[in-house]
Amino acid sequence: MNDSFKRGAAEGVRRMLPLSVGLIPWALVTGVAMRSSGMSAVEATGMNLLVFAGTAQLGTLPLIASGAPLWLIVLTALALNLRFVIFSAAMAPSFEGQSWARRLSSSYLLVDTVFIICAEPMKRSDDPEWRWGCFLGPALWAWLVWQVFGLAGVLGADAIPQGWSLEFMATIALMVMLVPMTQVRAMLVAAVAGGLGAVLLRDMPLRLGVIAGIAIGIAAGFAAEHWVGRARAR
Amino acid sequence: MIEGVWLWITLLLIAAATVVPRGSFIVLGSRARLPAALQRALRYAPAAALAALIAPDLLVDAGGFAPANPKLAAGIVVLVVALRWRNPWLPFIAGMGVLVMLRNGLGW
Repeated sequence: MNDSFKRGAAEGVRRMLPLSVGLIPWALVTGVAMRSSGMSAVEATGMNLLVFAGTAQLGTLPLIASGAPLWLIVLTALALNLRFVIFSAAMAPSFEGQSWARRLSSSYLLVDTVFIICAEPMKRSDDPEWRWGCFLGPALWAWLVWQVFGLAGVLGADAIPQGWSLEFMATIALMVMLVPMTQVRAMLVAAVAGGLGAVLLRDMPLRLGVIAGIAIGIAAGFAAEHWVGRARAR
Repeated sequence: MIEGVWLWITLLLIAAATVVPRGSFIVLGSRARLPAALQRALRYAPAAALAALIAPDLLVDAGGFAPANPKLAAGIVVLVVALRWRNPWLPFIAGMGVLVMLRNGLGW
């Protein structure tokens, strides 16, 4: 653990801290939902530790509860996780030169918030130890918050007040991440197109509408970048 | 309900279906490189993904397009606060305050 690792970790955790608030309701809700679908406390905790992915966990629960075929469950989980291929590709250059063990553990720890927090600062740094710290610090923090509050949800499944709309905190957290990005015109176009796409395509099976919305947003942002570039050149 | 050993097998497969997409390019590293144009396009992935997760929550109610709902009102407040002030906690306080007031206070 050298100095630049520590400085990277401090920078990452500092960026992560306010946003990790948004993980709390998600973790609680996921914990409660696993129990109410019929899993025991041990099984629910096992799922939290093994899968560690709120969207995939919540998305596959109804299928597990209804005894759906295994291939359909796996395919649904893959569809819900497809966005991580995009995140993984975007971050791969920042993991260049890292050991096998570090890259494998990153595969388990990479969640949406960590990607949003780490992708840009990691890309800017040319110090591999700083980059690793900037990833591992916030990733372990997110893991800890998720496990602690997931366990709280699992154990306190019956005692959580449901009238306070706490799940909306997750959406607020996503908005807090999105707002600074949209200061760039093409990013704003990508966000508007992605949001509208996901709303219009919400009836697609297996929640594929979200993935389609993301693809539409990326295409729109890319197109806007070209268009702006050409307008400037003229 | 899938039970016993089969439940644990199912959980392991879901875990695999999560780790493989997450690890794909990070683990393969320089052996698999995306073309430069695709790399540039992917810069828009986070903004598009965030919006694709947020918009349905704010605009869809019970499966239908319903812009007049308390979550959108709270979302607009969050947007204004996040644009206006740099305090990271304020959007949570304002957004939850508005939503709870509208739902529990006014019964919307």
